[in-house]
Amino acid sequence: MTKELTYLNYLKQERLPHQWCPGCGNGIILKLSCLAMEKLNFPKKGTVMVSGIGCSGRSAGFFDLDSVHTAHGRALPVAEGIKLANEELNVMVISGDGDLFGIGGNHLLHASRRNTDITVICISNAIYGMTGGQCSPTTELSSKTLTTPRGNVDTPVNVQAIVTAHNCYYARSTTFHFNHAMKCIFEALQHKGFSFVEIKSQCITNDGRRRGFKNSYEMLMSYKDKYKINNKASVLEHSEIGIIK
Amino acid sequence: MTKKLLQGNQAIALAAVKAGLNFFAGYPITPASEILHELVNKKAVKVLQMEDEIASVNTIIGASLAGAKAMTSTSGPGFSLMQESIGHAHMMEVPLVIVNVQRVGPSTGMPTFPAQGDIMQCKYGSHGDYFPIVFYPNSVAELYEFTFYAFNAAEESLSPVILLSDGYVGHLYETIEEADYPVSKRTLAPLGTSNRHFTGLTHKDSMPVTSDPEVHKKLIKHLETKQKKVSRKYNNYEYIKNRSSDTLLITYGALSRAAYNFKEDFAIYRPVRIFPIVEKIKQIAKKYKEIIVMEMNTGQYANEIERLLHREIKFIPILGGKIDLNEIGTKLRRIKRKK
Repeated sequence: MTKELTYLNYLKQERLPHQWCPGCGNGIILKLSCLAMEKLNFPKKGTVMVSGIGCSGRSAGFFDLDSVHTAHGRALPVAEGIKLANEELNVMVISGDGDLFGIGGNHLLHASRRNTDITVICISNAIYGMTGGQCSPTTELSSKTLTTPRGNVDTPVNVQAIVTAHNCYYARSTTFHFNHAMKCIFEALQHKGFSFVEIKSQCITNDGRRRGFKNSYEMLMSYKDKYKINNKASVLEHSEIGIIK
Repeated sequence: MTKKLLQGNQAIALAAVKAGLNFFAGYPITPASEILHELVNKKAVKVLQMEDEIASVNTIIGASLAGAKAMTSTSGPGFSLMQESIGHAHMMEVPLVIVNVQRVGPSTGMPTFPAQGDIMQCKYGSHGDYFPIVFYPNSVAELYEFTFYAFNAAEESLSPVILLSDGYVGHLYETIEEADYPVSKRTLAPLGTSNRHFTGLTHKDSMPVTSDPEVHKKLIKHLETKQKKVSRKYNNYEYIKNRSSDTLLITYGALSRAAYNFKEDFAIYRPVRIFPIVEKIKQIAKKYKEIIVMEMNTGQYANEIERLLHREIKFIPILGGKIDLNEIGTKLRRIKRKK
């Protein structure tokens, strides 16, 4: 007997399969979001999905919800406008690290300060994937990309510090730690106020293959080796994943 | 009907509330801040002071999609920052009102002095092709009236409508009659009621189509037709005939008030809906041998008029934010003598 995949109701199934590269982490996060919404019994009418620009920005269009695909970096102010104009709505943002910390960094600072009741899921793949693989604000030190051919010299942005500075919900997880990531999103959606989930995700096409990974499975396994779950920490170490409320 | 002594900026705020405004996001900027100050005290309006103008315009895009009647106000520098999202709002067909109280530029320029340097920016500021409706009143009473029209045109066209003002009219105090004008209702269902996708990508039936030129052509044609159709309802202009003169003086906004002093020597045409350009100008212009455009920039509207009329026109730039009758008189006489 096959189990009916009820979480698929949250997606426009006629638009599947999605257009992301084989091995991309975005699909995992799409599924995670659906599962979390289903678990919380979110009504499709009454939930709004907002996204920015980039590979991750295409996420919003796959949901069977009213959704807005905003200009580059502007997902947060648009989401805030939606939430504040109609506080009955559940407002979720799915966007990338370049969008949220780079071009839209200032909005993150202020949206968390205002503590607007929205949930942000950041697909943090440490690369500008759609434009071909340039260095992003979360690219690790000495990591090689198209624009850092001799290795990145800039410190990656400390998202945890920005979000928790204003006492908002912050969680970090990876696409490998599926159940943990699910828990992070599930709790974030229940959190009253600004909640931010950073999910480390893999881009094999424009990042991994240039750094010596053979396939996205190897990248996923590298998350397994690198990150340890710590749900009790008040500050997450570089190699820890967990939830800070 | 009660009479009130109001500043231009206050009149915009008052009219906006009467037109149904319930969401405002803005960032302080001279000479537009009074609109923000005025609205903070209105119970009917949710007012947000954002971190910058980019956040302001994007927040009202979100609010408008969620069902609110939304507005922001700014001046030239802030308006420049908003340009990308104005194009985005045209593409997603979001009704908004954006007030731009102009000051002297480029850059920080002369913040407290009026100018008309954002005419091109209104029409061509964002990338790609779009067809904005722009109003530019020249008195406090007109600012009040056209705030209603701006909201109505936004609802009817589902697009961001720009209400231009300048540091002069914006800070001017005049007595106005607090009238009520008809208000158009929202036709777009708010977010959270369906499964639509609003995107800045070229789209068809609300889904992205990024590799079919025909879809894009149709979309642009749709935007153009829609804007032209709605703008026909607002053919607002002022025309002061002068049978004894062979010269038509075209002027608008604050500067047009000074131009009234020369109606003995010239016929005067003042557009209020400055974009799309009111077609009537083609007929009126035929009656005059000479056309002069006078504006507080180096010929931004003059170029547009010249392009529309296919004939040579003269223009007088009044720069530096000072409206001086002597300077205007001298410049007008000099142009007349030359011919």
